[in-house]
Amino acid sequence: MSLLKVNDLKVHYPILGGFFHTVIDHVRAVDGVSFELRPGETYGLVGESGCGKTTIGRAIIGLNKATSGEINFNGTDLTQLSRGQRRQYTKDIQMIFQDPYSSLNARKRVLDIVAEPIRNFERLSSEEERKRVQFVIERVGLNPEIIYKYPHEFSGGQRQRIGIARALMLNPKLIIADEPVSALDVSVQAQVLNFMQDIQKEFNLTYLFISHDLGIIRHMCDRMGIMYRGRFVEEGTSEDIYNEPQHIYTKRLIAAIPELETANRKEKTHIRNQIAEEYRQTKHQFFDKDGRVFSLKKISDTHSVAMQ
Amino acid sequence: MTVNLSSSTPVSDSMQPKTTYASLGNTMWSEIKNDKMALYSLILLTAILVTVYTGSFLLDLEKINRIDLYNIYAKPSTDNWLGTDYGGRDILGTLIIGAKNSITIGVVITLISGLIGLTVGLISGYFGGIIDNVIMRIIDFIIILPFLMIIIVLITVVPVFNVPVFITMLSIFLWTGKARLIRSKTLAESELDYVNASKTLGTPNWKIIVFEVLPNLSSIIIVNLTLTLAGNIGIETGLTYLGFGLPESVPSLGTLVSYASNPDVIQHNWWVWLPASLLILVIMLCINFIGQALKRAADARQRLS
Amino acid sequence: MLKFLLRRTLIMIPQLFILSVLIFLLAKSMPGDALTGQIGPQIDAERLIELREKAGLNDPWHEQYARWIGNVIQGDFGKSAIYQQKVTNLIGDRLGNTLLLSASILLVSYLIAIPLGIIAGRWTDSWVDKLIVWYNYLAFATPLFVFALIILFIFGFTLQWFPIGGSVDIQADKGTMDYVLSKTEHLVLPTMAGSLLATFGTIQYLRNEIIDTKIKDFVKTARSKGVPERKVYSQHIFRNSLLPIAAFLGYEITGLIGGSIFLESIFSYPGLGQLFLSSISSRDFSVVNILVLISGSAAIVGTMLSDLILSWVDPRIRVD
Ligand SMILES: Nc1ncnc2c1ncn2[C@@H]1O[C@H](COP(=O)(O)OP(=O)(O)OP(=O)(O)O)[C@@H](O)[C@H]1O
Ligand SMILES: [Mg+2]
Repeated sequence: MSLLKVNDLKVHYPILGGFFHTVIDHVRAVDGVSFELRPGETYGLVGESGCGKTTIGRAIIGLNKATSGEINFNGTDLTQLSRGQRRQYTKDIQMIFQDPYSSLNARKRVLDIVAEPIRNFERLSSEEERKRVQFVIERVGLNPEIIYKYPHEFSGGQRQRIGIARALMLNPKLIIADEPVSALDVSVQAQVLNFMQDIQKEFNLTYLFISHDLGIIRHMCDRMGIMYRGRFVEEGTSEDIYNEPQHIYTKRLIAAIPELETANRKEKTHIRNQIAEEYRQTKHQFFDKDGRVFSLKKISDTHSVAMQ
Repeated sequence: MTVNLSSSTPVSDSMQPKTTYASLGNTMWSEIKNDKMALYSLILLTAILVTVYTGSFLLDLEKINRIDLYNIYAKPSTDNWLGTDYGGRDILGTLIIGAKNSITIGVVITLISGLIGLTVGLISGYFGGIIDNVIMRIIDFIIILPFLMIIIVLITVVPVFNVPVFITMLSIFLWTGKARLIRSKTLAESELDYVNASKTLGTPNWKIIVFEVLPNLSSIIIVNLTLTLAGNIGIETGLTYLGFGLPESVPSLGTLVSYASNPDVIQHNWWVWLPASLLILVIMLCINFIGQALKRAADARQRLS
Repeated sequence: MLKFLLRRTLIMIPQLFILSVLIFLLAKSMPGDALTGQIGPQIDAERLIELREKAGLNDPWHEQYARWIGNVIQGDFGKSAIYQQKVTNLIGDRLGNTLLLSASILLVSYLIAIPLGIIAGRWTDSWVDKLIVWYNYLAFATPLFVFALIILFIFGFTLQWFPIGGSVDIQADKGTMDYVLSKTEHLVLPTMAGSLLATFGTIQYLRNEIIDTKIKDFVKTARSKGVPERKVYSQHIFRNSLLPIAAFLGYEITGLIGGSIFLESIFSYPGLGQLFLSSISSRDFSVVNILVLISGSAAIVGTMLSDLILSWVDPRIRVD
């Protein structure tokens, strides 16, 4: 049984223009994407900037309207729900935002930021509320005394922890993490990532983990989908993708991971050139004449590729 | 989830606060302190306000309004520090009452039009789409209209004219600039992730607008209200000067200035109109200097302190 | 670009339409109607009803509106009740005077503001700059009518350097040098009052613009190539800043109209502003309505022209 099943999701943004300032075209930000998340796993979405990762996350949580397709959460199609009906699923699906600076309201104290979700759904005395907030604040590795401070008194990593605490308040089942560490110092990134894995076990969370960094995705995810221009080019387990990449775009992405060991660098450059050559020769197998990605085809139980 | 406060020790990255927290009030005050003009303006304005409001409270209205035909256009003297007008009435008394009326009405107009502008701007900027489009077209239109002429026509044709009607009419025209400003700032704020976060946390839109976005606009609102207060006092006294402002029974600073349209008075009886003119000037300058300092406080790049 | 031009022009049409409807409805709510100006007070009631019927004053309002706007478009502005003459005639001379005054205010304010803005921008934070910024604050904060009265008091009454009212000496004959001199002399005080305060926007815009350009690369490159500083400024600034300033003119119309009401009243200058005030006090509403319509239309058209010119000069501004 899957927790979340996305089926042929399309999100098109209108482009306004023309004489009467009407819709003249659409940006096909997400153009027919299907995948599912099983309870407790971490699913990665990877792809270059602008390929539509954020848009998928925003559509699932309801910040964007889906143009067509289904988003089934525990068997309910979220796209069919009214605003009011959707509200009850708010508790189950939460989001961690990319920018720890703009995602916390600078004019509110940590207590008010983290308590915001429970104020919307529960009636607690201020004493109970404070205890709940302090409990979660402690869980994310911060001192419970800090709840009366303001966001700007914290570092980026600490802020991201506050954002995570806020997302945890409602005991969600699914957390969408949109590039949760890309705004952080490299030194802090690993800390936050490890910590996210810790709380995943503790709170029984399922992650949809969005990133453009294959290295991070590999570290975090059980399975993943590789995106290109609003579509999946390949989907599979981490082993599938890293050990046997099939799609030429996936191969290029993997080849582009920077090599830290100086000894291997030369070899890496060689591989890159090889793949660039392969790309020129096999392009037509992967993209149709308009440059559009084909539909996914299963090549094993876990592994699918978009090929002709 | 069970509450378990004693376990797990809080660890991880350093806890030192990066900056000390300075509230909006503090920043504004320190900005004013660092700008001599603004500081003097604040002191002077406070002095004027105290004098005007306590003065008008202590003054005997009846005595001021009593016509004394043996004492018309009297020069300043120990009895009448600023002389008397065409009815032999004490100018200083009228000046104080007029200043009180002008300032009070200016404040009321500023607050009402501010409230309208704020509401419209927040709604327009937050929701966007068609509502926003329609509202912006209406604002574009109202802003182009020859405001002064239309106000004068309206004032002439309304069946009943009194202070509340006057305030309402001005407020109906004066909200547009604010609405435009607030709308563009709201638009920018709404794109920030803290607003998205609130949406995903199940916070209703009206709460997001009032408790999330609005506090982030507070400094801009304060600056704008201050600067428009000066402008509104100018508009009220100007209209009264032309004879289309406050009714005779409610003297304004403009009433005293309007005596200057009599060539004889402007030439020979300066004490009738000049003090009121200078007072308007001083009040508007003070408010503007304070407003400019607040503006710098609201915009971190321009701060002096 | 062409699309923008067309769309922007199209927006103007509903604006003009709504303005005219608003004025018409306002006119309907005013005491008196088109007949008031043409009949004597001793007319009997029956005759009045007949006349009203004949003049179409009992038709539905949209028909009356159509007739009225049709006439206005053809240049028939109706008749003034007080002056007993065509509104067109009344407006004629005064329009010239108001345009003259407005042009003179704009001209002088540019003559003051452009050099000051450039100086302030080039030598930022020098004492001259501080002085100019200070003056600019004053110009922004000072109410026009107070300033105008003080000017009138000092230069008109106390020093008696310039005439205190009118637009020309009545003894001067049209076409003579005396006439021109007298006109100019009468313009001095109202122009002084208006232009000294009108400098605000231009000075601020130029100063900011120059400060911004100073840090841009091409200025640095030009300088490093040995192009004299003055040349860099004059070429760049004139191309990039002065044209927008000229284009802002259309936005100023609403302000100029408001200003002319105060200035013409204070300096007894026979222009449209003064005509407006006197028609209001004598309840001569047919004149009032036309004046509001003209001013409103001028502002609408002016704003449109400014939008168009600016979008052409600086495509960044072409926001919809
Ligand atoms: N509000 C919008 N209106 C129109 N187009 C949009 C909007 N938001 C995003 N897009 C477009 O949709 C596409 C997908 O955007 P999205 O933000 O989902 O990309 P992304 O994969 O998250 O990229 P990044 O790694 O840079 O965050 C982009 O081409 C973007 O320009
Ligand atoms: Mg993104």
